[in-house]
Amino acid sequence: MTEIIQVCELTKTFRVLERQTGWSGAFRSFFHPRHKLVAAVKNVSFGLKPGELVGYLGPNGAGKSTTLKVLTGLLVPTSGQVLVDGQIPWKNRTTYVSKIGAVFGNRSTLWWDLPVMDSLEVLQAMYQVPTHRFKENLKRFNHLLELDEFINTPVRSLSLGQKMRADLCAALLHEPKLVFLDEPTIGLDVVAKQRIREFIRYINREQGTTILLTTHDLSDVEKLCERVMILDHGQLLYDGYLEELTNRFEGERKLNVLFSEEYADIQVEGAQLLQRDGRRAIYAFNWRILSSSELIRRILSEYKVDDLEVRRPDLEQTIRRIYEEELLLK
Amino acid sequence: MKRLIVLYFRLISIQVRSQMQYRFSFWMEVLSTMLLNGSYFLALYLVLQQFETIAGWRLGEVAFLAGMVELSFALMDMFFSGFDPDAFSPFVWKGSFDQLLLRPLPITFQVLSSRFVLRRLGRIMEGLVIFIFALILTDVPWSALKIVYLFMVLISQVIVYGALFMVGSTLTFWTVKPIEAVNIVTYGGTEMMTYPMNIYPLWLRRFFTYILPFIFMNYYPALFFLGKADPLGFPVFAPFLAPFAALVVMFLSFKFWKFGLRHYQGTGS
Repeated sequence: MTEIIQVCELTKTFRVLERQTGWSGAFRSFFHPRHKLVAAVKNVSFGLKPGELVGYLGPNGAGKSTTLKVLTGLLVPTSGQVLVDGQIPWKNRTTYVSKIGAVFGNRSTLWWDLPVMDSLEVLQAMYQVPTHRFKENLKRFNHLLELDEFINTPVRSLSLGQKMRADLCAALLHEPKLVFLDEPTIGLDVVAKQRIREFIRYINREQGTTILLTTHDLSDVEKLCERVMILDHGQLLYDGYLEELTNRFEGERKLNVLFSEEYADIQVEGAQLLQRDGRRAIYAFNWRILSSSELIRRILSEYKVDDLEVRRPDLEQTIRRIYEEELLLK
Repeated sequence: MKRLIVLYFRLISIQVRSQMQYRFSFWMEVLSTMLLNGSYFLALYLVLQQFETIAGWRLGEVAFLAGMVELSFALMDMFFSGFDPDAFSPFVWKGSFDQLLLRPLPITFQVLSSRFVLRRLGRIMEGLVIFIFALILTDVPWSALKIVYLFMVLISQVIVYGALFMVGSTLTFWTVKPIEAVNIVTYGGTEMMTYPMNIYPLWLRRFFTYILPFIFMNYYPALFFLGKADPLGFPVFAPFLAPFAALVVMFLSFKFWKFGLRHYQGTGS
């Protein structure tokens, strides 16, 4: 299948004013402003196939939003090629944006003083959505997002989660086959996050919508995406399956053991005893060298055990390691 | 096109409805705008009570100048609210402008329909009162053609002031904050037009003739309507340049706006 998003060697540099310290510095920079070039995104290449749901991860300032702004046509890159559904995003803006959907987590596209329903109707007119399609979509989204409870409330009185639900609905009413979501769960509580995730999964799985999702909430990614791209300092550090990522980086696993009695010596060959507290002990082991089952067999052969639990390091730790050590792998 | 017009009225009515939500405070604001702007003219009125004329212009004639400017500027301030640099600059840095760019409609249309400050009605009414006052004090032999041209002058002025708003807003793509110098030209320039232009020094008159053709927008049309002689010796067609000047200024501003948009797409800040 041909790719719906093709990004090749995308680079975006900004000219920023270099601040100089102190009064004399402020004076100097007023008359002789010094600029420096900052690359927000450097040589980023990737592609998305139709129907994919990809997580775009990175700490603040990594270049996620810049990439998304280029993909939605808001920014023209410094160099590189971008082709989205056969179109260059920053050319023919009006035709392009009518085919995509975009939600930027911390702003709303809805009218502040208007009830949600009225806002949606205005957008219907703007995107020229036929009335029967509009009604059908609204009914379906309403079911998933439970908009009914606040559909006649002005946007200004909505909670953050309700606003996001309304915005998601607004971004999808014109049935875009490609959707960009920038931090869709930012600032939301667990229940609201869950509902948003379910909706995202629905439009991806049931409607086949291609979705590129930026987030720094890793549970979003764990629950939604098979594939992730990790960006830091404007460079793509990783692009591949989430599972592969965890497999590759979580060489070290942990085994929590609850012994039946307190043994004097509980050292096991091939595993490192990390912590010991009465009958409880935590071992660290590299599962590539020593498999979980082998370790458990060794323990069970020497001790009596009440409970065992193998723990994989969570994704957050893995990602942090990637950022910190800049483990570049392709 | 028809679709855009329908949409325009719909978007404007959203603005109007939300601004009318608190009816009492709305009308109070209209009234206070009316009185505040009216007080400026009152000062002028009191001065003219003392001196009778300014450079040969009597009270009714100055009221004609002032009424036209007040009326057209206030109309512009209402219809071009979206391009008001003071509102446009936060609109950009808060990211609302990006939201407009994500919608499949011409961006100029969207900015124009994004804001509509209804309480400018106060100043519109004030301008209207002054203008009616001028009509009572002067006796212009009105004809159908003159009335048509009067409306053309009014619209031309709205367009020229709107063009200034556009330039001011475009500049905020570079400066983030609105530039005070632009406000001086917009608000100061229109203030100057409430007086007969021949009272100003030559350099200033030149500025408002060749750089910014304000002199043709109000002063010359007024000379024509009021049947006054031209003390500056411009060609006889000078009173009829207003619509052309307006179109040229708007055309150039629009080009600049488009240029600014391209710059914005390059920096996105």
